[in-house]
Amino acid sequence: MEKKTWKGLLLLVAFIVIVLSAGSLLVGHSETFAGFLYGAGGVALFMLLAKMMTLIQREGKQDD
Amino acid sequence: MIDLSSVPNIPPGFIYILGAVLLPLFGKGKVRQAYLIIIAVLGLISVAVMRAPQTSWVFSNLIFLEVDRLSLLMGYIFAIAGGCAIIYSLATVKDNGHHICALLYLGSAMGAVFAGDFFTLYIFWEIMAFTSLGLIWYEGSRRARDAGMRYILFHLFGGCALLGGIIFHYMSTGSTLIGPVEYGIGYWLLLLGVGVNTAFILLHTWLPDSYPKATIAGTIFLSIFTTKTGVYVLARTFSGAELPFHGQEFLFVAYIGGAMCIYGVIFAILQNDVRKLLSYHIVSQLGYMVAGVGMGAIGLGIMATEAQELAIDGAFAHLFNNLLFKSTLFMCMGAVIYRTGYNNLTDMGGLAKKMPITMITCVIAALSISGIIGFNGYISKGMVIHAAEMEELHLLVLILTLGSVGTLISFIKLTYFAFFSKNDEIKAKEAPVFMLIPMCATALMCIAIGVYPQLLYNILPYVEVTSHYHAFETGHTFSVLQIVLMTVFLFFMIGFFAPHEKITYDVDTLYRKVGRGFISACEGPLVHFAVAMEKQVLRLADYLVKFSQNPRRETRLGIGAGVLFVLLFFALYLIIMLYAGWLSP
Repeated sequence: MEKKTWKGLLLLVAFIVIVLSAGSLLVGHSETFAGFLYGAGGVALFMLLAKMMTLIQREGKQDD
Repeated sequence: MIDLSSVPNIPPGFIYILGAVLLPLFGKGKVRQAYLIIIAVLGLISVAVMRAPQTSWVFSNLIFLEVDRLSLLMGYIFAIAGGCAIIYSLATVKDNGHHICALLYLGSAMGAVFAGDFFTLYIFWEIMAFTSLGLIWYEGSRRARDAGMRYILFHLFGGCALLGGIIFHYMSTGSTLIGPVEYGIGYWLLLLGVGVNTAFILLHTWLPDSYPKATIAGTIFLSIFTTKTGVYVLARTFSGAELPFHGQEFLFVAYIGGAMCIYGVIFAILQNDVRKLLSYHIVSQLGYMVAGVGMGAIGLGIMATEAQELAIDGAFAHLFNNLLFKSTLFMCMGAVIYRTGYNNLTDMGGLAKKMPITMITCVIAALSISGIIGFNGYISKGMVIHAAEMEELHLLVLILTLGSVGTLISFIKLTYFAFFSKNDEIKAKEAPVFMLIPMCATALMCIAIGVYPQLLYNILPYVEVTSHYHAFETGHTFSVLQIVLMTVFLFFMIGFFAPHEKITYDVDTLYRKVGRGFISACEGPLVHFAVAMEKQVLRLADYLVKFSQNPRRETRLGIGAGVLFVLLFFALYLIIMLYAGWLSP
């Protein structure tokens, strides 16, 4: 199987895990799998913040 | 057998300061190395034999040795981390001046921790600022010189605020003893002064600006003392500080900690310079400590709840652990910079095989700071977050948990791109032995505390409460495992967080613009004034020269005017004498 297909499949598995965790939290009121949501939410938050920070970045070597 | 309890305790700070004074007598060779190791060991012994509680070395109102469980904990970790930094510096530092600055810095930090009153604290606080400046300036470059100037300006501002706060506090209470401060101008000035050293948001810019520009060994020392002394003083003075907000009391210091946690992490993720990344992580990790301190209650004259005691223990457990893993990380990255000459992640990679011991210790420290199970960061972060849960501060729990996700992201980035990513061109070899010894020692301590947390619990201020805390509780462990799995998976799958050569603006850009504007606004009138003054002084000097050559020709005053001048001076003299009461019998 191609590398891209593997990557897509793994991302799909992660998505399913996130959906099941959210379901468990919202429907079952169980926090047993909330860690997956924190992980995914954290990554999403920092991606968003990093994207926003590109507004105050400029090209060049990191110096002063 | 000598009974150590009968030997009078010597303030540990004095040992390091005396060590610095005598250092030039030991030349620059192996004797100096042995001498420095002896000083490090003596400092550790002086803390280990300290009796608590005690108040001694009191001169007038100055108390140089106030020992309780909290100051003793700080003494332990400063002696351990400082000792490791001294050994590490043997590999890279040639100048005696650098070693003297480092020892004075360590000694003054110890002095501040064991100070029993605000004035003694202030004296050591200022010595810390100036001696740490030496560690930045010894790097020798123009960047370091400029960053050092900005660093000292910030710290002088903080020192002035601290002194103002102390004076106001003394005027209102008549006490100089270190403890909670009454609400008023002094309260805010003290908070500002302490906030500069603790790197509160907006007051933090000196830290990521100067630490990456210091010498390799200097950065290790810098990462240990200034900010942690700030947290310690914050705990003594502003623990559990509240402000009224919408009719409720608001634990604002705790939320300042939460903001620091997220702010530091996001800037860390965006960095390419490894020491700048680590510097922003100091801000972030300080956030956990400040949050814990903000939730606690020291010296408030109330019975602290279990949650408040756990919060303080969590904050100081994290301070202890942070000094172990953060100094390991700085030491590892210092070794990488020393061997490769590169500072940026974009230039690194492929070092895992070339520097295996450095890689292993760095990975251990990265796992520790990321709060992975079995490493010390997991224990102390869990304590702070658990205390927030007990106090029902749900927003703070969320912020601190998300902060740990960000920490994990940035340390996967650091270790992967420094050691494991492909780079066949890089040339390096393993770090010198004096670098490896302290790195391995601190990394081992990270694992030891992570596996057997009782080692740390036993020296915390509220040992009874903390001994009931179950770090490896199934639900918590399982939750952390899930967070780690998801974050690691998404990091590698998305590939979003790769390093790049871009400059990220922080608020110091604004400060510098305002500063430059202020200087250019003042420059015109000041230069005009200076030129006018210079002209007048030159005229006067010229006149005096000519007068001394031929007084008669240069004297243009008439006899009457001269007499008038003499009378005027005589009258002025009489008025002063009369006013001062010197004429009265």
